[in-house]
Amino acid sequence: MPADHTSRLGRVNRNFFLHIHAGRVHPHSLNPGYTFGLGVILGFLFVIMILTGLILLMNYTPSVDMAYDSVKDIVFVLPGGRFIRNIHRWAAHGMVLFSFLHMIRVFYTGSYLGGRSRNWIFGVVILFLVMFMNFSGYLLPWDQLAFWAVTIGSNIAASFRELTDLLGVTQVLDIGGFIKRLLLGDEFVGQPALSRFFMLHVVFLPVSMMVLMALHFWRIRKDGGISRPVPKSSGPYAEEEKLLTWPVVMWAELSILLLTVCVLMIMAFIFDAPLLEKANPAFPENPAKSPWYFLGVQEMVSYSAFAGGIVIPALFLGFLVSVPYRDREVRFTAEWFSGRTGRKITWQSLLCALVVTLLPVIISIRFGWLDAWLPGTPRFIIMLLNPATLAAAAYMAWSVRVGRQTGSRRMAAIALFSCAMTGFVLFTVIGIWFRGPNWEFFWSTTQWPVF
Amino acid sequence: MDTTNQSEPSRRIFIRKLSAWAAASAGILASLSLLRQFLPRQGGSRKRYRIGRKNNFPINTFTYLSEHQIFVYRDHQGIRAVSAVCTHLGCIIEKNAGGFQCPCHGSCYNGEGRVLSGAATKDLPWYSLHKDPDGRIVVDQGRLAGPGEKLYL
Repeated sequence: MPADHTSRLGRVNRNFFLHIHAGRVHPHSLNPGYTFGLGVILGFLFVIMILTGLILLMNYTPSVDMAYDSVKDIVFVLPGGRFIRNIHRWAAHGMVLFSFLHMIRVFYTGSYLGGRSRNWIFGVVILFLVMFMNFSGYLLPWDQLAFWAVTIGSNIAASFRELTDLLGVTQVLDIGGFIKRLLLGDEFVGQPALSRFFMLHVVFLPVSMMVLMALHFWRIRKDGGISRPVPKSSGPYAEEEKLLTWPVVMWAELSILLLTVCVLMIMAFIFDAPLLEKANPAFPENPAKSPWYFLGVQEMVSYSAFAGGIVIPALFLGFLVSVPYRDREVRFTAEWFSGRTGRKITWQSLLCALVVTLLPVIISIRFGWLDAWLPGTPRFIIMLLNPATLAAAAYMAWSVRVGRQTGSRRMAAIALFSCAMTGFVLFTVIGIWFRGPNWEFFWSTTQWPVF
Repeated sequence: MDTTNQSEPSRRIFIRKLSAWAAASAGILASLSLLRQFLPRQGGSRKRYRIGRKNNFPINTFTYLSEHQIFVYRDHQGIRAVSAVCTHLGCIIEKNAGGFQCPCHGSCYNGEGRVLSGAATKDLPWYSLHKDPDGRIVVDQGRLAGPGEKLYL
């Protein structure tokens, strides 16, 4: 280990890969209670995904006839194949989980403020890529989950037709059908869809992800490291008080890497990645459930495909993209929940979302929805008025109210973000544990009827 | 002297704009020719197919044909065929006491294929049937029929 500062700085500067870091880092950036190391975990997970993906790729065949059998060979015949596939699976789930946690951390610490807006946008694009990567990945085993999840997913894209049908322009302007055919290459999930998803999952999305990640990291350097509180006294932080990247940051990152790999290995030893029966276009599973991170959306599309699958996610995406441009209250940078008022509003929003989400859901489960009270209700009224849209509208109204009361866009943003996250978690929990055959409500899986 | 100094930059700007537009339109036209790569003509699914003779179908029953994803209903007068693909998100519906129900998100239809409840916005389509010269029944998915229209046998 080089002893003096100059050679330690040189250690980072001369190395192409280490040069991703500055030579010195502000001590605040290494505070584990501030970042929780979430971004670094995501970086390592991505590397693990690439490595395990390469190994899986050598023995996988992307054809309708052979895909399922080749995955079965990987799991049951190849020594260690099951373990590699498990790691790939749990790392993928980890990327979804940690992407959301990372976004939540960055949001509540106000780290999109003060010139970091562009990097927030890159982050939102990466979140979208992570979700799409997962979606494209689970068609590849060609089992029942794969087939029906992608059938449902592509029909959510096609549910634009519900809007164009309502306007009577589907014959001229079939946006939904266009997206669906672009995705599947056909009207149904078949070989063209498998080839396309294979290309997306293996080439297009990982390469896009690498480019976006490079931009994301580059912006951190350009923005002067990760966010930290605006210094009270003027003048830059003294260079001497910063920490040397080599070795301090290296030790921190190495320990995160070891922890990540360790947890993944334990998970992969204990829990097997599921592989259902071979895809059967004639019979769906009952219930046909997507992986857990899409069950929130699945719960919403069970009320209305277009409203729950397109409009509400698009509104949320629009909010995420626009928030750094609407809210510019730089004084809140790097302060958890923007101080006491923000903390209070976060708790209030949580409670508010809990009530306005669960109330319509409970009503629809206990008493049925509009169809039960007024048979023959026009379908577009159900599309407009259902538990998911009512909850989303209530979140927005609440956010506007908070904004008016506090006169702060940051507080309005905190209110909307907290509500949206709470609602997302609630719908996901309902989708995972409280829905059974025919998407009916059950308190537990033990109550599911036996066929 | 003055006039040339003023006119030269504007000519340059004009040529620059012209070449930019030319390059852009050439690019767009060239990529239009690639559109077929992204949206190929579908060859797979046949719209018209034979489903055999009437004796394949028990009377007063909905029979599911898994190959074509349709329900065929035969009564004493005739025979009808309805799509088994849920109009909500494309799962295969199941027959229940009053009509049909989708296992994926619980949309319900009555025996006529009308939406009763759930997130589906469209009724199930009924397909037009005819007999070929051998007396076998042909389903034509390209032509829709009303829920009451039967092929009289």
